[in-house]
Amino acid sequence: MNIKAFFVDALSSALELRIGTPDDVLRHVTPDVLAQHLPRPLWARLLTACLGAPRVDAQLVVDTVGVPNLCEHIPTSIIWACIAELGARALGKPIETPAAVVAAASQPVKSVLAPPPEIVKPTATPARGTPVAIGPSIPKPTPARGMPAQSEPDVVAPPDERPATTGSLRSRTPTGQRFRQSGGSNVRTLGGVTRRPQAAAATVPAVKPKRSEPTDYETETAVEAADWREKEIVVDDEQLVDWQADPGSAVSSAITGDDDFSDLGNRKR
Amino acid sequence: MSDQRQAWFARVVESGLQNDIFNPSDVLAHATPDVLANHLPPDLLSKVLTASLAAGSMTPERVLETVTPELLARHLPHEVLWSCIAAAAARAGVTNVVVS
Repeated sequence: MNIKAFFVDALSSALELRIGTPDDVLRHVTPDVLAQHLPRPLWARLLTACLGAPRVDAQLVVDTVGVPNLCEHIPTSIIWACIAELGARALGKPIETPAAVVAAASQPVKSVLAPPPEIVKPTATPARGTPVAIGPSIPKPTPARGMPAQSEPDVVAPPDERPATTGSLRSRTPTGQRFRQSGGSNVRTLGGVTRRPQAAAATVPAVKPKRSEPTDYETETAVEAADWREKEIVVDDEQLVDWQADPGSAVSSAITGDDDFSDLGNRKR
Repeated sequence: MSDQRQAWFARVVESGLQNDIFNPSDVLAHATPDVLANHLPPDLLSKVLTASLAAGSMTPERVLETVTPELLARHLPHEVLWSCIAAAAARAGVTNVVVS
């Protein structure tokens, strides 16, 4: 018994003789059915034909895939449902289709064209500067009525860059005006809450960075300590160097009146 | 449309026989002698009888050698042919649907 060859003959002749139309075929062999059962090379052929055709219709699908391929790859129950409909129509009778068959034929199938499942992002260490949700049980902060949201940073980021939750474990230093948009009036805020106009911030006097004062000295020769100038250092005669021992060097290093000593302090440092 | 429908039923019956979806006995289970006698024209009935007499027996195969699928589709009600086709499909397990 070659049921598929029989189906090919029945379906092909029905299309040739206009007993049925390609639309009749695609009412049963739906795109989801094709997606589930048609091999990928045939899908490639079908997509190529559809892309190159000025009009995509059932005729194009059936002609491109071909009745033999349909009967070969599509479940026989579906092909038979199509043929049975054509036969019933030819006889002028409504076809009695059990609910089970209808359910099996029209069962929603998972399409390959459906979007892939959502990627579960790892919840490990977030990137630096990435806002972290504090916890699922913590409600989303809502600004008080008539008051601007205090937890919002001053930097207005585009909507896509704004985190869903504003809770942040790390205090974020505003990065200047890098993300500030030029059109301030159209800036959307989180949750559609419009920021109230704010007064200009008072100019904060520049604070001179506090220089760290050394308090501990590791050596006695640390020049940061100023009290060394006041101490009198005891030097033995043996530690003194006789600079007159080398006359040549004494001449070359002799101090003359042309030397400039105005920057002596700078040279020292 | 009638000619096309007739041609289609003829093709389906022929294909069913060729592909062993059903056999001549199955056809004659639906196209009973009573149906044949009431719908086949006299000359065709005559040929059937003549062939059987020449062979010495009348078998479903020999009947269908004379009354071809094309002649069946031309003279018999298509409901009869369809019931044969649908029953064969049900036997093949491709469907639970039986169109009477």
